[in-house]
Amino acid sequence: MLDKVYSGFGYWDVFIWLLFFAISAALVLFVRSMGRNDYKEGTDQDEIFYGSNPVPEDGADMGVPAASAYWGFVEALKPYYNALIDIHSGIASDYVGYFVLTVAIVAVLVLL
Amino acid sequence: MNWQIHLPALVLAVPLLGAFASPVAGLGGRATRNAWMIFISVLTTAVCIMLWQKVIAGGTAVYVMGAEAWNITLPSGLSWPVRIILEVDAFSAFMAVVGSIAALAGAFFSLRFMDRFTGLEKFSALYFLLVTGMLGMQLTGDLFNFFVFLEIASVASFGLIAFWRDRPEAVEASFKYMVISTISAMFILIAVGFFYGRYNAVNIAAVARMLQMGYAEKIALVFLVVSLAMKCGAVPMHMWTPDAYAEAPAGVTCLLVAVSQASLYGLFRVCFSLYGASLGSTVVPWTIIVMGVLSMFIGVTMAVIQKEIKRLMAYHSVSQIGYILMALGVGLLALRDPQAMADYGFTAMKGGIFHIINYTMYKGLLFLTAGAVFYSAGSRNLNELGGLARVMPQTTFMFVIAAAAIAGLPPFNGFVSKLLIYQSTFAVYPLLAVAALVTSVLTLASFVKVFQTAFLGPAKKTYENVTEVPASMLLGMSLLTIVIIALTLFPGWTLSHLVEPAAKALVDQAGYISAVMGGGL
Amino acid sequence: MTGNLPFLAVGIIFFMGMYAILFERNLIKIAIGITLLEASANLFLIVLGYRTGGSIPVFTLAGEVRSMVLPTPQALTLTAIVIGLATSALLLSLIMLLYRHYGTLDVREIRRLRG
Repeated sequence: MLDKVYSGFGYWDVFIWLLFFAISAALVLFVRSMGRNDYKEGTDQDEIFYGSNPVPEDGADMGVPAASAYWGFVEALKPYYNALIDIHSGIASDYVGYFVLTVAIVAVLVLL
Repeated sequence: MNWQIHLPALVLAVPLLGAFASPVAGLGGRATRNAWMIFISVLTTAVCIMLWQKVIAGGTAVYVMGAEAWNITLPSGLSWPVRIILEVDAFSAFMAVVGSIAALAGAFFSLRFMDRFTGLEKFSALYFLLVTGMLGMQLTGDLFNFFVFLEIASVASFGLIAFWRDRPEAVEASFKYMVISTISAMFILIAVGFFYGRYNAVNIAAVARMLQMGYAEKIALVFLVVSLAMKCGAVPMHMWTPDAYAEAPAGVTCLLVAVSQASLYGLFRVCFSLYGASLGSTVVPWTIIVMGVLSMFIGVTMAVIQKEIKRLMAYHSVSQIGYILMALGVGLLALRDPQAMADYGFTAMKGGIFHIINYTMYKGLLFLTAGAVFYSAGSRNLNELGGLARVMPQTTFMFVIAAAAIAGLPPFNGFVSKLLIYQSTFAVYPLLAVAALVTSVLTLASFVKVFQTAFLGPAKKTYENVTEVPASMLLGMSLLTIVIIALTLFPGWTLSHLVEPAAKALVDQAGYISAVMGGGL
Repeated sequence: MTGNLPFLAVGIIFFMGMYAILFERNLIKIAIGITLLEASANLFLIVLGYRTGGSIPVFTLAGEVRSMVLPTPQALTLTAIVIGLATSALLLSLIMLLYRHYGTLDVREIRRLRG
């Protein structure tokens, strides 16, 4: 097609992907159109399912806060994250220290 | 006399005029000041694009400040480079275009975003000084001049980061950035001193021509590489990045992203054009690659746990810089081996340079959308935000595009540059490509988190009265969105017209030298 | 040997500045350290351009001498001094604002941004 990018190992063509997205969108719309539209409005069929509890008025009571996102991931990597947060201590002289240390290490590597 | 000869100087003169005339324009009231800001930004972008066209058509442009010749010829026939020159090759011009587009978007966005605050004529003066510093770093052909523009950009950015000086965090972020940045600038100045002491010249082309690797050159190389890597936020010197990016006003953060690219430009100008083939060992390329991998991984893992929207995005800047460092490090590794260069090196360079423009565009857009959220909802805390997609549909749309691009989801432009980087770094060392892939997955994960907590979910009572941001802010964001979509739809054109000339110019050290030095010294 | 003494002075001033930045807690002392670093860089440039017995590099003032010191480092140093002035002024005003906000000058207590 028009705008191929060769990477040396294969190629990338955005229009093939757009075609793919168009086909999958058509499929999705087709599946959606197969759904029933004869439900009764205003009855239980129309209700939001919230674990058979009453739905809260304010959305703030039902969302998942960001602090809970990826809790397991962070918990599993606790030692790694503790070390990393210790490095980001917020003290300006520490940051300068890391910079000077990097200069020193790279200097040793280059000069050797 | 063709006026286009003066384009390189105009690129610097226009924003400089904008900076110093801003207080005067501020006397005329809000409308005049805003019109002046937009006028200068549009003019700068136009001049940069014209300069780029001229460089692509006519080859490297060399502009001597204040005289006809870059050197002085003594009666004895000895000629010596003495004058300040601007040397614009395809890579410089490319970076200038990228930077000026980001500056234009930031200026549009800042008009209304900053409207609630006072001292705006000072804001626009500093803003254009920062633009001048950035463009100067990218166009200069002189090491000391590079240091001067670096300091202009730094001092302007300290002022802009601390612009909300009644916020303790803003002053703190500015102070920390200032301490580490001033120290690194002194290292750069000392490195320039080394070059002057050895070669009696600070002209990049002249020094590159005479360069013989010795202890002084090695130390200067280390100082320059580490200092400039710090300025663009590479691990382990990245701690100022989240502070500064999160606390600066959003329009400024968009520009700061572009300014960090100017430091990156300096890093690769030093490695490729100044040292080039005489770099000798593979230590420096590997240092850059290792820094890149560490930046990618540590940046993105820190981003996953952030709770403040702009701080999270700032950690992503660290990780995206890692991609560029790794790709161009691989290019540097292959520099002395024509076979390796043809096999994977040049692809890596193309991927890296393509990633520079992609990164600047989508990162700028992400910071602008975060600023829009802050402007409308008044909070940056992801624990509090929610359901904003209902009230800010345009912002959400643009956020989704930018987030998909940064996460490298096909078919967006971020995927194309990442694909080039994966495939070329895989040839060097498969683990590099694996690290890049893992980073990409984690990037997607953390942006899913932002999207889900800030934009999706049921409407919250607190944000019932939130409305879409004003038109001029949307204009700034949509400018970057349009660029992203264009890059997505025409990656082949972008690669062959924008990226490849830049990569070729970067590899071609002899061309860079002879554009200034001509036949003989 | 004595010709290298100025470079030794550059090194000593540089490390004094570095020590102050890394190990002092008071922000004003850190600012002094940064100024020392700037001073050492400026001295380094000046020393590089010095030629033994050279006179000032101004043609009308130099008189009948064979050698002049190099003029370029002096121009570079002037520029660097001006930049250093801007940085120091801004740094001190930021420290002033920090003291107003945090009520302390201890670098280890100004760490609201971390993690």
